This record gives sequence, C-alpha cells and structure tokens, in this order.
Amino acid sequence: MDRYIIRKDDLNRWVEALARTQEVIAPTRVEKEIFFAPVQTGIDLNLLSGTAVLPYLPAKDLVLPHSENLFKFTKKGGDYEITVPEDKKTTVVLGIRSCDTSGIFWLDKFYQENFSDCYYWQRRNNLTLVTMACNQPAKNCFCVCCEGGPFLDSEQGEFDIQLVDLPDSYLVECKSSKGKALIEANSKLFAKADPSAVKTREVLEDKSRKSFPPDPTSYMSAAIRRITSNAVTPETWTELGEKCFDCGGCAFVCPCCSCFGVGYLNEGEQGCHYRFWDSCDYSGFTREVSGHNPRGEKGERFKRRFFHKLSYQYLKRDGRIGCVGCGRCITACPGEVGMPSVVERLRK
Amino acid sequence: MFVRTQDGEARGVLPITAHPVSQGRLCHRGWNRFQNLRSVNRLVKPLVRDGEGMKETGWNEALKLSGEKIKDLIGKHGPESIGVIGSPWLSNEDNYLVSLLARQVIGTKNLDGSYRFGAAATLSALNQLYGEGIGAAGSIPALKDSPAVLVAGRDAHRDFSPVGSRIVQAFKQGAQIILADASTGKADHFYKTFIPVPADRLPAALAAKRDISSEVLDLLGKPGAGLVFVADQLNPSASVLALINYLIAHRASAKDLPNILALSRSPNLRGAWDLGIRPPAGGLNLEEMLAPESKVKGLLVFAEDLSVHLPKAALLEKLKKLDFVLWAGRFKNDTAQGAHVVLPLPLFAESEGTLTNCEGRVQVSRPALSPRGECRGLSEVLPELAQALGKSLPGGPAAAIRKEIGKAVPGYEKIAGPEVESEAGALLAPPRLASAPSKPAVLPALESPDKFLLLIPNTLYAWEKNRMIAESPVLCIEYQAERPAVKMNLQDAKDLKFRPGEKAKIRSERGELQVALQADEGVPRRTLVLSSHFLNLVEGVAGKGEIDPLTRSVYFPSMLVTVEKA
Repeated sequence: MDRYIIRKDDLNRWVEALARTQEVIAPTRVEKEIFFAPVQTGIDLNLLSGTAVLPYLPAKDLVLPHSENLFKFTKKGGDYEITVPEDKKTTVVLGIRSCDTSGIFWLDKFYQENFSDCYYWQRRNNLTLVTMACNQPAKNCFCVCCEGGPFLDSEQGEFDIQLVDLPDSYLVECKSSKGKALIEANSKLFAKADPSAVKTREVLEDKSRKSFPPDPTSYMSAAIRRITSNAVTPETWTELGEKCFDCGGCAFVCPCCSCFGVGYLNEGEQGCHYRFWDSCDYSGFTREVSGHNPRGEKGERFKRRFFHKLSYQYLKRDGRIGCVGCGRCITACPGEVGMPSVVERLRK
Repeated sequence: MFVRTQDGEARGVLPITAHPVSQGRLCHRGWNRFQNLRSVNRLVKPLVRDGEGMKETGWNEALKLSGEKIKDLIGKHGPESIGVIGSPWLSNEDNYLVSLLARQVIGTKNLDGSYRFGAAATLSALNQLYGEGIGAAGSIPALKDSPAVLVAGRDAHRDFSPVGSRIVQAFKQGAQIILADASTGKADHFYKTFIPVPADRLPAALAAKRDISSEVLDLLGKPGAGLVFVADQLNPSASVLALINYLIAHRASAKDLPNILALSRSPNLRGAWDLGIRPPAGGLNLEEMLAPESKVKGLLVFAEDLSVHLPKAALLEKLKKLDFVLWAGRFKNDTAQGAHVVLPLPLFAESEGTLTNCEGRVQVSRPALSPRGECRGLSEVLPELAQALGKSLPGGPAAAIRKEIGKAVPGYEKIAGPEVESEAGALLAPPRLASAPSKPAVLPALESPDKFLLLIPNTLYAWEKNRMIAESPVLCIEYQAERPAVKMNLQDAKDLKFRPGEKAKIRSERGELQVALQADEGVPRRTLVLSSHFLNLVEGVAGKGEIDPLTRSVYFPSMLVTVEKA
C-alpha cells in the first residue's frame, strides 16, 4: 500500500482533472437532500470532510441500480433481435464512506458467487472507489460494531483509495492498481506521506472509534450468538415482525442487500426485460405458484432476513456479517425496527 | 418523493427525508411506484368507437365528436341526462375543472366520484361537525405525541406508513393504542386495547365500556388524542358521527378537538371531496346514474376505472345502455372498452397539480417525465370541450387554476399562496366546531349464541385492477386477487367439518347465499367476512343493502346469519 498527501486546496483540482477523462460522482446537495451525483468542478468540501455524510441511497445504486434494462428485443422477420445495453464509461466515486465501500466489496462476492453477473461487473470493473474515512460518525452510524468503518484497515481492508481528513491536508492511502492510476495521472498534486501524517491518522481513527453515539451502537456478537443458536423465541420474531411494515425500504437502502426481481415490458413486437430491487420483506418474495408460502407470516420473514444478516452460518461463509453499520435502515424504517433496535431486542 | 429518471424513463424513486410527513420513509407501494410509470398499457392517443372496436383519432376530432354528442343529449333530454364522474386519482385543479364542467358548462347536478366512495361516511360526518371546510382536522406528525390513539375500522397501519409510523412512535413513548376492528381475531402487540366490534356498533361499545376501561376512555379525551379512521371501512356516517360526538363530549378540555385522520388508499380522495366531486342536493350518485331506470343517457368519466368497483360484465352491460360514454384516463381498461370516446391523460408524474392529504396538507406534484404520446392534461382539454359546448372554462397553468380554487372553495385560500409550492406544502386552516356535539345514537351489540356475525367490509378496490398494482411485477404478487369466498375462523370451520373450498349456505333475514368457504386463522370466532367487492354474492345474503341518508350511498351493515353445509 502507498501513502501520499494531497493539500486540501488541491482536491478540487484533482476532481477537475479526473472529470476531464471520466465521470466523477460525489455526494451532492440537491435542495435539502444529499445524493451521489456527477460533478465537474467545485465539489462541496463540507460533504468531503471527516464528518460522516451519507446520501440516502448507498453507492450500491451505482453498480446495482433501482431498476435497469437487461435487454431489449425487437421482432425482425421470424426472429427477434436482442440488444444488450452497454455501459463502458469509467467512473470514480469520490467521498464514498467506509461502510458503503465495504458494502460494495460484499456485493462483489455475491455477484460472482455462482456466476459472474455481466451487468453488475460491467459497471463494477469500471468503477474506482475513493473512500473518505470518518473522523466523526453521524447520528445513526454504528459501523464500528460491524467492521464497516469508521476507517478501512490500511492493510486488511478492501478499497482502491482511502482519504483521511487531516487538519490541513488529506492522507491518501492507495491499495489497488485502479487507485494508483488516478494518482499517477495527476502525480504533481500528490506528495509522499511522512510518518507524522500516519501517526495523526491513527490518533484520528482512535478518537473516531470512541465517539460513536450510544443509541445505534449494538452488541452484534450477542445477537449473532443468539440467532445462530436458535435462542430467539418465535414470539420475539412475531413481535418484531408486527412492527415491520413490509415496505422493503431497509433492503433498498442497505449497502449489502443484493436481491432483485425481473419483469418484462412487452409492446407489440418489441419490449424489454428489466430487473429491479426486490426485498425479502415482501410476502410475495417466497410465495410459490401453488399459493403456498414458506414464509407467509411477517415474523418468519423478519427472522429469515436477520438470520441471513447475522447468523454465523453466513458469517463463516462470507467472512463478515451482512451489515456494514451505515444506519440507513434507521432512517428508512417506518416501523422503527432497523438493525440496531433489532439487535438490542435480540440480545436480551 | 422524487422520481428518478434515465433516458426519459422512470427508473426508481427516492423518498424525501426533509418532508414533515414521510420523513424519508415510504410504504411498499411508494417504493415500487416508478414501475407503473413505465407501463406499456398506457393510452397514448385519443380513440373513438368504431363498431365493436376503437380507432385512433386526433384530439380535435375527439373533442368535436364529444361536444356534438353532449349537445345532442342536452338538446333532446336536458342537462340532467348527463352524468359526470371525477376521481381521487385527479389533482385538485383537474377535479375543480371537472366540477365546473358539470355544474356550470353542462348544468347537471349528476356529479360523483367512486362507486363506493370509500370515505364518504367519514367525510360527511366531518362536514356535519365542522361545516363545509374540514380544513386541517388532523396532524400526522402530532400523532406520535398523542396520549392515546384509536384506530377504527381496520388494522391498516402498514397501508398508511406515515400514520402507522407515528402510531409505532407513540407506542414507544407509552401511548395507549386502541384498535377497533371486528374482522380480525388478534391485534398486533402494540395495540394495548382491542375492541373487536364492527364500526356501526362501536359507539355503543364505548358507551357501554365493553372491551375498554374508563381510564383508556379518559385518555382518549385528553388534548392531542388521535382518532385514526380507516375511512373506507366505516359506515354509516351516523355511526361515525356518533363516535366522534361521543369522544368530543368526553374530552377533558372544551377547546381541544381530537386529532382526526380519515385514511384512504386513493391519493387525493380528500381533495376530490373538498373540490366538490360528490352529488349536490338533487343530483344523482354513480349508482343512481347507472341504474336501469336512470334518466342519465351520457356519462363523462374522468380518470376513474369503474370496473374497479363493478364486475366487468355488469359494467359493460350498463355502459352499453348509455347513448354516450366519454372516458378520459391513463390506461387501457374495461371502462375504456365501453366508451365511445377515449381521451389520454398524463400521470401525476407527467403533469403539475396539487393533492390534499388526509390531514389537510396541500402539496404540489411536479412533473418528472414528459407526457407519454399525445396525452394532454384536463386543464387544456376541458376548456376546449367547454368551447365545443359553446361555453368557457378557466384553463392555463396549474397555478392560475389554484388562484380560482382559492377564491371559490371554502377553506382552500392557502392553495393560491406561495406556501403550497414549498417542500412541506400548505396546511389548510384548522376547523372549528360548526355544531354542538349531539347525543350519539347508538346501535345495540349484535349477539346470538347460535348465529354468526357476517361482516361485509368495503374492500374499496379490486386490487388486481388498480393499475399501480397491476403494472408492478412486485406489487401484483403482493396484492393477490381476492377469491369470491366467505372467510371463517379456522377452528369454526373445523368444528363445522367444512373441507377447504367446500360451499356453505349462509342465511340471513334478507336472503340466502351459497358460497365457497375459506378458513382463515385471522378471522375471529363466530364471524364471517365477505368482501363487498363481490356484489352479486353480497346482495344474495344482504339484499340491496342500506342507504346512508347523509351520503346517499349504499352500505352493508353487519348482520347475524346462520351457516350450514350447502
């Protein structure tokens, strides 16, 4: 891994230089909301500071959009012509937070587990992630409980580039060839980091780990143990399920949720096949054609969701739990049963 | 919420976290809302009848033909031979113009909305209480600080997530949450008090303190207490009025009114009601317009698919008898099949307009997409139709029509101001009691040891015909078509030795019905539930139903019946 320093004044110069050759996406304020959106120049450095800023949707939306056309078909004579959309543009995501980066690396595993999903990988291979470490977590953050942040581990963590907001500059940690290419193309803006910067990084990370708000931080290990050993009673799942609105919001805003459904739009002799985010909250998610539903009750669906997220069976297989601690489910859940409150309930 | 687009197509939605009502949270219909925006079943060109089928035509021709037909009917049979149907699926601006078209241009009093205008009983009761301007009778954000919340009609907090979310928050803060619902045997755990009685018997149950303690009733009388009406389940209006009057009479402070929210699944039902989409005195309602002996010869239907409320065959039969049917809407459907002229309208996401939510908040919906094909908004179309009839209607941009509404509609002054354009929209003025609470007229409880209680809830929609549902691959699985069957408690079905799907003979004082029986764990003991959507079945056992004198719509009261094997 290489470490550099870039002056704060030079960050926008780097963005401008990157934007000349590829798409640059960064957290952007639109009215009162924050989205990941394309930028050209002058990005809002307040959204790229050490204080965590999380757009409503995670950056998974950039590799697995809410909906996307898989192919279009048109009848030509006795046959059909199939057109598969191509997305060859290279993209840099600047200011993605540690949790979202961890989420994308988790999705990578899913989308190459049994087969390589060409739509996902077409975008993923052209995406470089410039992560911003969080010196100060936001009010719903609990990544510290899930190994999702606030900093990605310099040696063990998976990232292309990680920026750390130092008092007068950014420490730039580069781990991948894609990240290295971004730095080498603009090498004049970067200087080798000295040991004091690395020392400051350690202090900031330590301070950040100690500054998480008490509410969302959760005893994941206790919940993992109780779910894995089947110690959670059916009544508890029913109680939690009764608060779930089956809206699917938690799955849609979760950086780790990967489920999708597919549909057709037929119009005469042409149409398209598309996919869209789906959710295990929905009663139709597992309903069979016969009408039988193995998880017809809300409590059963809720149990399945959290078993997949937290049980040791999946932790062992995937190397991490299915939560990166971004806290978006707290914002999206109308029933107030986001991950922290569920973990809190389960561990009792 | 925002609609996210790519290449001119809707690709997703995004909630608004700063919105005071949604707070960044959506229900499952909201999250999948973009899918029907891509529907291939949209109407994109005006159509006119051509024998048994329809053929495409131009706007000028379609409007000219409509004008001639309407003029001809008015000339032959008078303006009352025309019926006009507005819709909670239209914006306030569009409904206002539809209402003006009926009253001022055509001169007919035959103006109505949905066939079983779901919340008519509740909204009529509120009109009795508060006068014409119901205003901001409730507050969704304030619900979370309520000392007690009574949810009456049905446990539907999931269907109305902003309200349901506040109910869960109130529960977490220690509020007493009460559910009054006769069609379920068990309430979710956060309903600390469960009153399993039908809506029409609820005032009696409260008065007799059945299933509810004095302490809980006292909490309901405290300032800020919430009344959440799943309005399409509450009938008749006299019962709703009795319930509100009972609670108002028991409030701790004379100056505080309860926080009343009348919920409906239609996006702009409250707006349609306030903007006058209901029959005025002397006018016919939709049922009367479609009755065999009706004087109505021509029907102008705006955005309402009548087959959502009537079986397709019955609807087409009724429409066939009319001399002229105009249907202006968004999708190809059964009503369009029975029309003589079809006009394509843009969706909410393709046009600007305001909607009024259940708390009386008026918000602007702005276009995220261009209108599909040749779709045109009613603010353009209706003035042209009026011109074809030799009259005039205001038109132009939505903001100009809002100014007209602000002057003409009681309580809607704020719709013309800048506040309505803000992210949070404009809350209408709070209402005042127009009449002193009357002594509630209460019905006694229905009980008989050897009989079953038959409930005929208003399902409001055949969900599978709702385009928002049908056009979404996710939602059409979530909302399965209901089977024409009567639901009975699983244990009761076992006790009576019914096999799955076996037919039951249900007998009441009004009639008899043979219908498949569906065992359901969720139904309470000694109770049967038959959806009012299956009108032919319902009428078998319940006759023609009762007419609510205030709303003049039909409803089916709960009744005692006997059940045996067919």
